[in-house]
Amino acid sequence: MKYLLTPFVLLICGSLVLYPVVFLVTESFNVGDPGQFPPVLLGLDNYTNLYDDARILGNTALVACLATIMAVLFGFTLAWILTRTAIPGRAVLERLLELPYYMTPLVGALAWGVLAGPKTGLINQLWRLTGGGDLVDIYTPYGIAWVMALFEGTVAFVMISAAMKSMDPALEESSRVLGAGKLHTALRITLPMVAPGIVSATIFVFAEMLGSFAAAFVLGVPGRFYVVTTAIWQATLSYPPEYGRAAAMGLSLFLVMLVMLGLSRLILRRGNYATITGKAFRPRALEVGRLRWLLLAICWAYVGLSVVLPLGALLLTSFQRFATVILAQSIFTLANYQTALQMGALGSALENSLVLGLVVATVAVPLVSILVWIVYRANAPGGRLLESLVMFPQAVPRLVFGLGLLWAWLYIPIPIYGTLWLLGIAYLTVFLPLGMRTMAGVVLQVDRGLEECARVCGASWLHQMRTVTLPLLRPGMVAAWLLIFIAGVRELGVSVFLMGPNAKVIAPSIVNSWLTSSSELSAAMALLQTVTVFIAVALLFAVVRSVARGIAVRAGEPL
Amino acid sequence: MSTSGGGMMIEVSDLEIRYGEVPAVNGVSFGVVRGELLTLLGPSGCGKTTTLRAIAGLEQPCGGSIVLAGETVYSSPGKNAASPRRNVATEKRGVSMVFQSYAIWPHMSVFENVAYGLRVRKLPRAEIQRQVERALTLVQMTAYAGRSAAQLSGGQQQRVAVARAIAFSPNVVLFDEPLSNLDAKLRAEMRVELRELQHRLSFTAVYVTHDQEEALAISDRVIVMNGGRIEQIGTPQDIYDRPRNRFVADFVGAANLIAGSVRPGSASDGSAVFDTATGLALRVSTNGALHGDEDTVALRASYIHLAAAGTGGATNAARGRIQRRLFHGDFIEYVVSWQAGQLIVRRPPTEILAEGSEVAVSFAPEHCVLLQRT
Repeated sequence: MKYLLTPFVLLICGSLVLYPVVFLVTESFNVGDPGQFPPVLLGLDNYTNLYDDARILGNTALVACLATIMAVLFGFTLAWILTRTAIPGRAVLERLLELPYYMTPLVGALAWGVLAGPKTGLINQLWRLTGGGDLVDIYTPYGIAWVMALFEGTVAFVMISAAMKSMDPALEESSRVLGAGKLHTALRITLPMVAPGIVSATIFVFAEMLGSFAAAFVLGVPGRFYVVTTAIWQATLSYPPEYGRAAAMGLSLFLVMLVMLGLSRLILRRGNYATITGKAFRPRALEVGRLRWLLLAICWAYVGLSVVLPLGALLLTSFQRFATVILAQSIFTLANYQTALQMGALGSALENSLVLGLVVATVAVPLVSILVWIVYRANAPGGRLLESLVMFPQAVPRLVFGLGLLWAWLYIPIPIYGTLWLLGIAYLTVFLPLGMRTMAGVVLQVDRGLEECARVCGASWLHQMRTVTLPLLRPGMVAAWLLIFIAGVRELGVSVFLMGPNAKVIAPSIVNSWLTSSSELSAAMALLQTVTVFIAVALLFAVVRSVARGIAVRAGEPL
Repeated sequence: MSTSGGGMMIEVSDLEIRYGEVPAVNGVSFGVVRGELLTLLGPSGCGKTTTLRAIAGLEQPCGGSIVLAGETVYSSPGKNAASPRRNVATEKRGVSMVFQSYAIWPHMSVFENVAYGLRVRKLPRAEIQRQVERALTLVQMTAYAGRSAAQLSGGQQQRVAVARAIAFSPNVVLFDEPLSNLDAKLRAEMRVELRELQHRLSFTAVYVTHDQEEALAISDRVIVMNGGRIEQIGTPQDIYDRPRNRFVADFVGAANLIAGSVRPGSASDGSAVFDTATGLALRVSTNGALHGDEDTVALRASYIHLAAAGTGGATNAARGRIQRRLFHGDFIEYVVSWQAGQLIVRRPPTEILAEGSEVAVSFAPEHCVLLQRT
């Protein structure tokens, strides 16, 4: 059976994944009429013109560097505190620190826009009460980097924690036994052991920041501050649309990110000495005495800045007619929620997103299960090829992939452009890597002997699947379903290109509302999305305790 | 087409298995008699587990044939088109197996684990109940029937795995290093229990282990494997007393290997004179015809006698000095230096000699086994 199935699946996945990329590459060399396919005039102009955009490249580098430095600093500090010191409530904190990731940089950017915008920002309003002017302005490169670090830096925390946890405590203990002090041990043993993990995480985060879209979009575009991703988006909107330029920028970004991600992986593999054995250790916690209250405060400050404060600001704003912290002046109203939930264009956006999340997750889980089975269990020929093919969308910045999908389906004679069908197909394509990673993690945990034993006991393949394999995989399938559902509800990068007037989804609608109408309405919509995601996250944590630990974050599921 | 000779339960012929280009099993042939316990012994990577898994149908051979109870379950496509390829699915082979990892299904209770093979065979409910109880009684696990498999210790999981393997009364049970994850004391106990069980239920067993002590203790016959090939087949006594080559002598039991050559023309009456490289002349048993390229004598540590100096005079006697004495409890190991280098000698703990003392070393010619150059 596997000999028949593999080519068939290869064909489907191949066309889903590679078809948009072919369009992207072709378009990047198109120097003639951007609307023509196949192009008549080919040339390198789109690439050579990139030099003219030096300012955009500079902006991108500045924001990405700042965000990376902050993210790694936060990530390292938090990871060290949580894995190496004895502070109270470690387990709870570890969960809370994953929340910013699920909140998404879009919601984070909106919330910080509400908190720290010039004049109207809640922090600035409070500060003015004390007689000052504007205290902070989030609509700057520093503000963008701050939001990116808070809401996309979670991956740094997860990766560095993993590096710290995978170190055998005996390595440090033997240093102590041989007579080295705490500091000496930290410098000569601990640091060299975890350094590859930290360097690798830094490069990984930097690559992710280069491809980040939401924060720069919400906070940069109003002030005409563009980074590569927002410039790509801008190029497609100009008249005539500069598709070739957008494609050239997108592909260049993709190549740079690909090289960096490869480098990050190489460093991790080269430098891992004995640290990454796949075994998780719980290193002995340092006794830090009084200092632990300070460390605890740092952790909670982070949770405050990345979860409590932003959500509080959104909550307050969403119930007001005009956002203010001066409660005496505030007029509370439910009108924002009424507008958001009305069956107009906005209400259907939320409904569409929920439907897309449900349907795509339900279709993807069986598909991914078959894929994982082919790749990791059946030893079918072409399995590895299939794996790299399916995992490919992960390497492409989501926005760039959306660009490719835009043309790919624009020129196909099936009339699904501008419909939910197209969004569904696009989601399925870009969520396959997430599903694959989740399921593969579970499948690889299931000892092959468990299946083989069923066969030896006389069970047919089907009976074995039903009584042994599927029951063992169930938690993983539930986790994959929930993660894909979450990813679907928060999707922005692909949707921003593929959404049609009659097929709106929530994340781009929030952005539109933010850019064109009131922040109060946007806050209400953002909260509705966040609540949906958090319910799914709570289910995820409850249903599959061990399976889901940071899977989404580690899979680098970008928005 | 299969030849089911005199009570043969398993016949493996010219078995070949490759992982990619690497041969894992390279032309292995053996038979297992009904009711026999045969052990495949060898270092890791020698192909013993692969061979066992091929019998169960879990590994795809690329050549040879496997016959179970007279039925060919695997045969490679022969040179002539008249013998087509055969490959019976694992579940149709009717063998049972105990896995090294135990493979206890964590989502089922102990009872459900053991009942699995019976349910697959669609036995009536009462019969399943009876058989599961019988199997659990045999491994003394009746008290745990309702437990979730996740709540068991390693030793208990091992017992459940055995109960599950014998519950549906298979004719053949395959054991893949079943005791390697247990601690030493439990391992020794389970060894006896498994042997008891196999005698009582008289199933045919193929047992894989890398532990030579376990192999010698538990088996009717032992196959020593190395690098995907069979080095020697024989009873435990055979393997121990008459190793066929350097590898077997070295891998099974503690042996001293002494280099030298057979003195030409000295062979008579089943013995010959062996001149060691250091100038000693030993009388050794030839145990059949000489090949002329014998260059090593193997001498088991337990077959060497030590006595106070000056009391020698037997055939193979020499002077030595005790360098080290290591007390093992069940025996004492002496490191003795003598003319041919160092000797490892194991004596019962009743024979205590002081470190540094001069001793007379002696051993019988029949314990000196000539090994061919390899």
